[in-house]
Amino acid sequence: MGDVLAWVLFFVMLIAIIVMLVFQLMCLADLEFDYINPYDSAARINSVVMPEFITHGILCFLCLVTGHWVMSLLSIPYLYYNMRLYIRREQFVDVTEIFNLLNREKKQRFFKLGYVVVLLFITLFWMIFHALEDHH
Amino acid sequence: MGTENPNRPNYPLRPAASPFAAQQSTTPFLPSGPVPGSEASAFRPAPPASSQFPTPPFPTGPLVGSEPPAFRPPPSSRSNDLVRPPPSYGSPTSGFQRFPTPPLTSTGQVPPPRTSLAGQAVVPPPTRPSPGPVSLLSQPQPPSVPMGTPPQSIKTGQSNPNVPLPADQHFSTSRPNTQPSSPPMGPSYATPRGTFQPAFPGYTNTQPNSVAQAPPTHPASFPLQHGGYAPPSTTPFLAQQRGYVPGPPTSTPSGLYSGNQVQQHGMAPPIATSQTLAEDFSSLSLGSVPGSFDAGLDAAALPRPLDGDVEPKSFAEMYPMNCSSRFLRLTTSGVPNSQSLASRWHLPLGAVVCPLAEAPAGEEVPVINFATTGIIRCRRCRTYVNPYVTFTDNGRKWRCNICSLLNDVPSEYFAHVDATGRRVDLDQRPELTKGSVEFLYMARPPMPPLYFFLIDVSITAVQSGMLEVMAQTIKSCLDSLPGSTRTQIGFITYDSTIHFYNMKSSLTQPQMMVVSDLDDIFVPLPDDLLVNLSESRSVVEAFLDSLPSMFQENTNVESAFGPALKAAFMVMSQLGGKLLIFQNTLPSLGVGRLRLRGDDIRVYGTDKEHMLRVPEDPFYKQMAADFTKYQIAVNVYAFSDKYTDIASLGTLAKYTGGQVYYYPSFQSSIHKDKLRHELARDLTRETAWEAVMRIRCGKGVRFTSYHGNFMLRSTDLLALPAVDCDKAYAAQLSLEETLLTTQTVYFQVALLYTSSSGERRIRVHTAAAPVVADLGEMYRLADTGAIISLFSRLAIEKTLSSKLEDARNAVQLRIVKALREYRNLYAVQHRLSGRMIYPESLKFLPLYGLALCKSTPLRGGYADAQPDERCAAGYTMMALPVKSLLKLLYPDLVRVDDYLVKISSQAEELDNIRKRLPLTAQSLDTRGLYILDDGFRFVIWFGRSISPDITRNLLGEEFITDYSKVSLSQRDNEMSRKLMKLLDRFRESDPSYFQLCHLVRQGEQPREGFFLLTNLVEDQIGGANGYADWMMLLFRQIQQNA
Repeated sequence: MGDVLAWVLFFVMLIAIIVMLVFQLMCLADLEFDYINPYDSAARINSVVMPEFITHGILCFLCLVTGHWVMSLLSIPYLYYNMRLYIRREQFVDVTEIFNLLNREKKQRFFKLGYVVVLLFITLFWMIFHALEDHH
Repeated sequence: MGTENPNRPNYPLRPAASPFAAQQSTTPFLPSGPVPGSEASAFRPAPPASSQFPTPPFPTGPLVGSEPPAFRPPPSSRSNDLVRPPPSYGSPTSGFQRFPTPPLTSTGQVPPPRTSLAGQAVVPPPTRPSPGPVSLLSQPQPPSVPMGTPPQSIKTGQSNPNVPLPADQHFSTSRPNTQPSSPPMGPSYATPRGTFQPAFPGYTNTQPNSVAQAPPTHPASFPLQHGGYAPPSTTPFLAQQRGYVPGPPTSTPSGLYSGNQVQQHGMAPPIATSQTLAEDFSSLSLGSVPGSFDAGLDAAALPRPLDGDVEPKSFAEMYPMNCSSRFLRLTTSGVPNSQSLASRWHLPLGAVVCPLAEAPAGEEVPVINFATTGIIRCRRCRTYVNPYVTFTDNGRKWRCNICSLLNDVPSEYFAHVDATGRRVDLDQRPELTKGSVEFLYMARPPMPPLYFFLIDVSITAVQSGMLEVMAQTIKSCLDSLPGSTRTQIGFITYDSTIHFYNMKSSLTQPQMMVVSDLDDIFVPLPDDLLVNLSESRSVVEAFLDSLPSMFQENTNVESAFGPALKAAFMVMSQLGGKLLIFQNTLPSLGVGRLRLRGDDIRVYGTDKEHMLRVPEDPFYKQMAADFTKYQIAVNVYAFSDKYTDIASLGTLAKYTGGQVYYYPSFQSSIHKDKLRHELARDLTRETAWEAVMRIRCGKGVRFTSYHGNFMLRSTDLLALPAVDCDKAYAAQLSLEETLLTTQTVYFQVALLYTSSSGERRIRVHTAAAPVVADLGEMYRLADTGAIISLFSRLAIEKTLSSKLEDARNAVQLRIVKALREYRNLYAVQHRLSGRMIYPESLKFLPLYGLALCKSTPLRGGYADAQPDERCAAGYTMMALPVKSLLKLLYPDLVRVDDYLVKISSQAEELDNIRKRLPLTAQSLDTRGLYILDDGFRFVIWFGRSISPDITRNLLGEEFITDYSKVSLSQRDNEMSRKLMKLLDRFRESDPSYFQLCHLVRQGEQPREGFFLLTNLVEDQIGGANGYADWMMLLFRQIQQNA
């Protein structure tokens, strides 16, 4: 039963990360089509960058603590990438150069999104698997 | 060659040309006839153009004369300048224009001589949309490409005519000048090649010698090995003298060293003929060339922009309704018609825009008030009405030239259309006839001009005397600040605390308030810190008078820059305006404090090197973004003798449309004139406030990136809190559609701004450019100045993310790719294996590329420039208009001792003295006195064995001492007066910066190296290549995989 709960928790956190990523992508898209000015766009994106990083950090930690080694290993590349951005102080989008960096920022987030979606499916699988197992 | 063939026949036929045709044409034709056509076509344009132009443009009469004989680049270059566009339309047009233009306008057709042209024209269809030019164009140069061809043919035709007859119209003016200067020219022209030919040979001989680089004998050996550099120029000559033969632009002469000789050969040799032609040339003797060249000049066969930047006139004449090239310059006036063609154009494709460039008297931009009708714009794409819109339906509708939408004409704006489709009220509608207009537009009450000063008053500011000079200058400018009675002004000073000044008009003395809490800044009396200048005038003056003495005793060494900046932001954010920052030390307190960096040699050459050139603290970028948002422009004046992290401070200027002024080791005794002039100009020049700029262009093309000092507010909208005439912006184009179906692409620059007088205005510049299907045509229409401007911006941006070396290599690589592509275009069928070829329009490209790699932001490594200097120069170059940039890259070097010593009529002499010398140590004579002028400073170089008279007269008795301590001032003797007058003349030519004099004596190290030798871009400096080596290097790389 504990396993199922853990997987549900992972699932919810991954959903949260996906939502934050999609939100960032939407802001970038709005910016590209001139629905929003760069100041607001950058402020909105930057406001969810740290929550995204932290959520994922907690996810990794929980995976580790609950003994889901494979899952935590799978999360580590993502974590490493985030850490790297953070250490280089590149985690936030730069208002002044946002238009020049638009494509890069978008690509980066699309990759992240894809990665998280894969994790999500894995989680979903294990969640259902464990739920069925419990059921039996 | 096809074109050539047609042309050639033409030539002989043509009256004017006939002489030429006979000699030149014949030779070339015969041999080349079959093959060379293409080559010829490509080059031809240039030659003719050169011929035509050289004379006119250059008063340098001598040059002209020289040209024919020499072929030299110099002539060509000159010619080029004139011609630039020549190759394609430009040249022809230009040529035409001068001659033909008159005809064109009137008849549209070429004059009688032209008739021949017309005949030629037959071949190609009129590719151009442009009306006037079309006819000319029509004479496409069949051989090369549809587009290109016409011009060539034209050119050729023209050139001939020019020489003999017609040219005169336009030329007449120019020519007279030239002739006097260079008597030889006139005659030379008249006389067919006969005379010249001899000259050529001579040249060749002489040149090699003269060319320091080149080995003596080279002509033979070298030419073969290396392509000639001269090529283009030579061609022109040929054209002139010989006729059109030169047509083959490709012929670029051979040997670098031998250059001239080779070139000549190259010229001739459209192809197979090359050999024979070469012989022809070689037979020429130098002797014939009367001292057309100045000492030193001949030496180099390599092309040099000794006439500075010459804007592409021919293109402007093709589209007379285009805005002036002062405002908008395209890197190539031929827009590629397909993405595949664009991808073969390895140079940047884009434009350099200087929306507020100063117009000479009489050419002011007309202001139009559309109060009754509202401004006429396209419903869909928002394009402003311009000369290229067409009226249909008897004047009731107009078709947008950019998106082709049919718009209704408001009834108040209606006018009948005559039989030719012109509105009857055309002469009262400047917006329908002029490429540059201003519309009045009153959407909301505009902001007043606002100047806010943020002044560092720490100990160094006081000691260096900066504070005093600055206060005096501001005071003296109070009367001439733009905006008359609306102008607002305010001051904050800071050291380790922040001082606010209440300047309410009811006070007699300013009231100072000190805030020492740097973490949580609050602004006392926010309403009285910014005051109306005319109301509080006496208080402001009292403040400025007392400012230097107020801090006389200040020994504070700290600088709370960040908090003071925030305070200034709080005060200004209501209104926006201009913030002038005077910073003397590294910000050391509060938010935004910076640390020493950049003194670590080990960082250079590693991946972290670029970190030195980007702002260290995100605070600065964030502040810059906030400033822009609230329409505040920041100008940074930095004075420190130590590291001040210009990289970080300059960010404020970069994103707010401002600029960075850097006075390293400021000492009021030395630098006060410079600061005074530049600050006064900054305060008093006409400024456009709270501006935004957008460049619209026709369907299928799109501006994708922008480069300069501004911030993007949306994908294509530049936010410019303040703009003035000294700022230019560059943008790159890309094609959105794989194939453009239109024949012309229109560009419209719209700058919406508030004038100092309180009007909201829109300045609109419209330009049209032909779409071309041929790469050769693009090359022919290229504009070196705009290309280099874009190159330098791209390179400087690259230094912010990678190593200096990478940025330099990128420049080199693009030049190589471009020339290789060009070579592939022509070389194969012409068997030019041993020569370097390049289009006439780009003949200075390699040199400017080299100069760019040696410019302060890009040069060398750790030891070659201080990080601050690099960054300051980088920020400056990002905003420089094309002309100033080219002058900075390739400064003027002139010799003045003869002028000073001689007693003669001054006017004439002054013109003579503008004879620029190549930037190489060989140009310097130990007995001479030289001035190097890069637009930012004068370096006055005293030869080692200069006559003591001169030094004594100019410097007084102290001349023996250290030159670094001598300041040049007017003394009571003729020589000194003359020199000062001369310097003033130089300064007047570009008032945007003040050139401070640096005196250098030959052999006085390290000053000589620092001031002069690093600026001799043609010499080998440190690890960097000299000009000849550079060309060899490029040539070798072009050959690879060619």
